[in-house]
Amino acid sequence: MRPLDEKETTVVFDKLYKFVGNNLQKIVMENPSYEGPDPNPGRYCFRLQKNRVYYVSESLVKRATNIKREKLVSMGTQIGKFTKSDKFHLTIQGLNLLAANARHKVWLKPTSEMSFLYGNSVLKGGVGRITENIQVNDGVVVYSMADVPLGFGVAAKSTQDCRKMDPNGIVVHHHADIGEYLRMEDEL
Amino acid sequence: MGKKKQKVVLPPELPPEVLDKDIEVSDEDLQFVNQNLDYAGFVSNLDTHSITKHVTRVADVKEDALESLYEKRLRKKQPNKKIEENAIEVDPVDALPVKTLDGKLYYRTVPREIKKVESESNEGDATGHDMGLAKLTKAEKRAKLKKSRKEAKKQAKEEVQQTPQADVLDEVKNDLTAEEANESKKYKLAELGMALLADPESNIKSLREMLEISKDGNRAIVVLGLKSLLAVFKDIVPGYRIRLPTEKEQEMKVSKEVKKMRLYESTLLSSYKAYVQRLIAIEQQTIYKRVSVRCICTLLSAVPHFNFRENLLAAVVRNISSQDDVVRNLCCATVKSLFINEGKHGGEATVEAVQMIAELVKTSDCQLHPDSVQVFLSLSFDEDLGKPHVADVDGKSKNKKSKKRKGFEEPNHLPDNGKKKTRQEMMTRTRDEVNADFKAASFTQDLSERRRMQSQTLSAVFQTFFRILKHTMHPTSEASSLLGASGSHPLLAPCLNGIGKFSHLIDLDFMADLMNYLRKLAGKSSKSGDLSENSSNYLTVSERLLCCIVAFKVMKNNLDALNVDLQDFFVQFYTLILEYRPGRDQGEILAEALKIMLCDDRQHDMQRAAAFIKRLATFSLCFGSAESMAALVTVKHLLQKNVKCRNLLENDAGGGSFAGAIVKYQPYASDPNLSGALASVLWELNLLTKHYNPAISTMASGISTMGCANNQVYHSIVSPQQAFKESSLEQESIVPSGGIKISNKKRKPGKDKLSSVKVRPDVNMKHQSDENEVRKKLTEHFLLLRDITENQRLRGELERTTLSLNLYEQYKKQKKQKRKTKMA
Repeated sequence: MRPLDEKETTVVFDKLYKFVGNNLQKIVMENPSYEGPDPNPGRYCFRLQKNRVYYVSESLVKRATNIKREKLVSMGTQIGKFTKSDKFHLTIQGLNLLAANARHKVWLKPTSEMSFLYGNSVLKGGVGRITENIQVNDGVVVYSMADVPLGFGVAAKSTQDCRKMDPNGIVVHHHADIGEYLRMEDEL
Repeated sequence: MGKKKQKVVLPPELPPEVLDKDIEVSDEDLQFVNQNLDYAGFVSNLDTHSITKHVTRVADVKEDALESLYEKRLRKKQPNKKIEENAIEVDPVDALPVKTLDGKLYYRTVPREIKKVESESNEGDATGHDMGLAKLTKAEKRAKLKKSRKEAKKQAKEEVQQTPQADVLDEVKNDLTAEEANESKKYKLAELGMALLADPESNIKSLREMLEISKDGNRAIVVLGLKSLLAVFKDIVPGYRIRLPTEKEQEMKVSKEVKKMRLYESTLLSSYKAYVQRLIAIEQQTIYKRVSVRCICTLLSAVPHFNFRENLLAAVVRNISSQDDVVRNLCCATVKSLFINEGKHGGEATVEAVQMIAELVKTSDCQLHPDSVQVFLSLSFDEDLGKPHVADVDGKSKNKKSKKRKGFEEPNHLPDNGKKKTRQEMMTRTRDEVNADFKAASFTQDLSERRRMQSQTLSAVFQTFFRILKHTMHPTSEASSLLGASGSHPLLAPCLNGIGKFSHLIDLDFMADLMNYLRKLAGKSSKSGDLSENSSNYLTVSERLLCCIVAFKVMKNNLDALNVDLQDFFVQFYTLILEYRPGRDQGEILAEALKIMLCDDRQHDMQRAAAFIKRLATFSLCFGSAESMAALVTVKHLLQKNVKCRNLLENDAGGGSFAGAIVKYQPYASDPNLSGALASVLWELNLLTKHYNPAISTMASGISTMGCANNQVYHSIVSPQQAFKESSLEQESIVPSGGIKISNKKRKPGKDKLSSVKVRPDVNMKHQSDENEVRKKLTEHFLLLRDITENQRLRGELERTTLSLNLYEQYKKQKKQKRKTKMA
């Protein structure tokens, strides 16, 4: 386990910024952590372990240093991983963090929830509600109508263009959804 | 004045001619004559010449010539007779003639004139001044006409009659000349006006005379003249636009009627033009400003289809932002009536007016009175203006198909079809001609023409709106340095209202820009980050609320494509609720915003809804009844709609299982999504149940018990706006003297009618012209109040006296009893 170096930090923060925008500051610095024996709230930080990036409270990190590197499987919340070619991808385990601070949201109609949970992209006909002012390639978090976060993706069209589209166009490219816990259990 | 018809009376036949020398005079006759020379003197004084002339004049003349002779004689006699008539008409007391030492009789004509004038002026006063023209009856008019003619003739005769009173009369004349002249002009105006209205065609020249009179120096006369001309023109102007005949047409030989018509039209047009020019010239002078503006406005609203409409419109639009309230109200009312009565002018005036107002906004850099843009709200457009032209395309394709079919069938049935085709062609041709004639005859507009004009109007309107928005975003440096903070956007409120009203007609392309602008505007607070944007750039809370409201209205009207969620505006609204101050900002706008953003059927993010509920509950603790009512109604609404938020009513401080990601409530969070309100509890409701206003306390207790029932069928129908209005009016009413009915929980809070007298002084202090009404109403109100207290006091006294009387009677009874017992 080691903290992220400069390049890695910029990459991770860029990716997060696409989804949470200015709330990034809240995630990185101002999120109080009540975990641990300390009565005063601590802070959260990012650590890298075996090509996976974790979002951990500092007190937990202190205690985790007691475990050998090879034996440590995971800590805190995994938010993403680096590929062999050093590209960073966000994974589904970070959904809670993203959903709480998301800027751009899309709500799905009940009929198209299943389709998204199987890994398909979101079509316009399945969109119940959509936040205004989404631009192309913005990070979008997908919810059900009951405000349950289902996953996230990348916007294929801006909200403006979305209006004029026909119902079978793709609105959000699929990146990750909670169905993966069942489908790709081994790969997580 | 009727010519006296004379019967042709021939003189009696002459006695047979007897020569002088044949006459034998008897002695007795001679004696008689010599004795009575005096009596017989007349014979020598006989004017034989004139008598013979008299007699022979008519004798040998034939019938027709005879008539004309008599007529000529009459005419010569008439002026003399008229003077005599004068003598008889008026007070005989003053009509006594004067006999000079010479034995000549002088009739007092001149003083009688003055007397007559005075009596006439009294009449004139009685009939009322300014608009008394129309009220004078025709009989009086005719009498005045006669008198004026006589006066004119008398003016000529005065020079002839040199009376010894001439000097005195001259003096008197000079004093009264001005008044006389005014009166005479007034009456002249009146007669001319009536004559024109009675028969415009023949009296059209009198228009010029009226115009002349109105060029007088005296202000009252000018005003009267202008107003009477206005009344005349309003009635005379025909229902079509006059087009003067061209050179060619003038050279053509036309019938008498057409010539007469042309003359009439050209005179009318030229005098109308002169009148309009005069009005516009006079408008520059402040003493005449109100009158001229009133005339222009009335003309424009009465005859908007006539010529010179552009000049009138230009004058009206120039004054539409004047500082003078009366002038401005007049102009705005006129423009509104133009927009509403489109049938009168076929829509062209609307386009012109809107374009002119847009120009005005542009040149004055958006510093106008809000009324000038408020008039746009009275515009109305066709419903299908936004939809494209589908009909034509279909028609064209149909034509093509039919043509193809014809061409195909031709080679098969050549000989028969030849005849049929020509007949069909003839039929279609005649049908087209008939259609064209019908269209020309009926004044209905072509649909496409109407559409074109409306789209022009719409584009001008939106141009103005966007310009105002842009100006609000980036005011020029001069404006920002000169003007203060909140006063620099007077046009913003009506602009936003207009956008809200016409939002369904906005093109989708502009929608994104518009929303961007609105978002930026809503976000402008006094503490904007950039140093370049000074405090001169900030908008008041009301204006920002208006921006949010308009954004939602726009979205609602364009819902057919996609259900878009306005995240940023909710964030803004969340902070605006904190910044609201009851005295400074308008509560109605807040109530409207609450209704549109929260209460209308929208599905909310749980976190966001909970955040609003919590903040509104805290808000209702801080302000007066009106805002609290509005907030509580909204809270109830939200709690009913979002079932999950009802855990706010439970006592789980940590939020239990519903809290979501954020475990602690952040009261100062600016983003409702990150506030963690699901983890809080609505303890404010407990405090509110002890509110002094019974409506609020019942409402609060109602909400806190809402969580118990599983199935909430009872829906609150009152909107926050209604609740706000009703609560605020209740505040203004007098404190009820009777008992207050304890309201049932089930009863809707807004409908709590207090049993006692509820005097609602609907005081509208904004209009200066209603001041008197306000004063009257206030005096009534306070008199009533005083009467009520008087009543109470008297009733109290009455009760007291009855009580004391009863006591006394009891005392007397007791005394009697005592006496009885004593006796016994």
